[in-house]
Amino acid sequence: MADQTAKGEELERKAEKTLGGWGIFCNKYDEAADLFDSAAICFKLAKNWERAGSVSIKLADCHLKLHSKHEAASAYVDAANCYKKISIQDATQSLNQAVKLFLEIGRLNMAARYYKELGELNEQEHNLENAMEYFEQAADLFQSEEVTTSANQCKQKVAQFAAQLEQYPKAIEVYEALARCSAKNSLLKYGVKGILLNAGICQLCKGDVVAITNALEQYQEIDPTFSGTREYKLLANLVDSMDEGDVAKFTDAAQEYDSMTRLDPWKTRLLLRVKNAIKAKEVAEDDLT
Amino acid sequence: MSEVFDGYERHYCEISASLSRKCTSAAHLDGEKKKQKVSEIKTGLDDAENLIRKMDLEARSLQPSVKAGLLAKLREYKSDLNNLKSELKRITTPNPTQASREELLESGKADMIAVSADQRGRLLMSTERLNQSTDRIKEGRRTMLETEELGVSILQDLHQQRQSLLHAHSTLHGVDDNIGKSRKILTTMSRRMDRNKWIIGGIMVALVLAILVILYFKLTH
Repeated sequence: MADQTAKGEELERKAEKTLGGWGIFCNKYDEAADLFDSAAICFKLAKNWERAGSVSIKLADCHLKLHSKHEAASAYVDAANCYKKISIQDATQSLNQAVKLFLEIGRLNMAARYYKELGELNEQEHNLENAMEYFEQAADLFQSEEVTTSANQCKQKVAQFAAQLEQYPKAIEVYEALARCSAKNSLLKYGVKGILLNAGICQLCKGDVVAITNALEQYQEIDPTFSGTREYKLLANLVDSMDEGDVAKFTDAAQEYDSMTRLDPWKTRLLLRVKNAIKAKEVAEDDLT
Repeated sequence: MSEVFDGYERHYCEISASLSRKCTSAAHLDGEKKKQKVSEIKTGLDDAENLIRKMDLEARSLQPSVKAGLLAKLREYKSDLNNLKSELKRITTPNPTQASREELLESGKADMIAVSADQRGRLLMSTERLNQSTDRIKEGRRTMLETEELGVSILQDLHQQRQSLLHAHSTLHGVDDNIGKSRKILTTMSRRMDRNKWIIGGIMVALVLAILVILYFKLTH
């Protein structure tokens, strides 16, 4: 693919020249944009992501000068895709610019989608706070466009990260709102018990036994079948073991649930936190007595 | 000489009495005790037989006058002994059923041990089979729960696709409207173009006419 690289470089040089020189009828930006586009394609074929990304950014600049923001935004997105393969920071930058342009144009749908992508990139980098922010903005935009499923997905991620970052009240709020929405929808109502289980685990992490029992009753209202499910039994057992400060019972309940359906890493992490909290309380009580 | 015989005779009487008593008692017994008694009776009978032989020899060695009487007595004792023997046989033979019953029950005891071992083995097997079925049911339940989770995620995907389809539907309606509008605009444009063409044509004709008129007036003056 070395010839593609060579072709790409040639096209880039021509484009630069066109930009630098005097264009007739001020067509130079158009021509330059076309040349940059072909150059970017060649670099992509050559898998030279760095050059492809930089060329795409230059292309976006041209389009901006041509006042076609839409094209510019697409060019930024292209650049971000190329940079994703090498350095996520650059990709994040390009995506941010792309999103800004989309917002200006008013294509909220696309802006929301790219916010979501930004969130995912940050999640990969384990930058949970930024990721949460991006997902929140994405959820808001999706909500305003009435694309409820994507909004729900983003909200779920927001709640997940909030719980991981120990912002439990926020997470609980989001999960409960989600559960109420999903319960109304005939397609989504089978997933409600999963959401309620997550909300219950967040309540446990908060550690307030009275609030948890109230919450469990509330969840019963949201979803009438909740009390028959294994999720409810698990939560009830965990609350009991927390009340009694019995770590063995806690572990038993968790094991029983795990033997039927595996607990995913997020749940395992949070439950471990609860377990440690119970242990610490036990030790503290022993110290006092 | 007859004293020896008398002695033998007395001995024999004792033995036969005890033997008859033992026979009657043995008839009511079972199993081991019976065997013991029977063997006792047999030894008694053997003794009695020895005595009778001795008596016989004694009797023959005596004088013929006493001999006859003694031999008669001896014949009585021999028949008595035969009776006892037959009675012993009677006691021992109705025992084919009893003897085989004893044999069966004895081996029955060994059988019982085997039977209980067999029962234990069967219980263990059934317990194991129950455990296996429990495991299988648990496995089936696990699979069912996984399928349910899968179903939930499929439903979520469907929901999303439904929304995308609805969105596309409304967008297409918008596109339809826009296309209608653009068609109208294009028709207006083409009409305007025609109008302009006619106007320009008209102006050109007017100008040409004006030039011709001026030239005409210029040339005729």
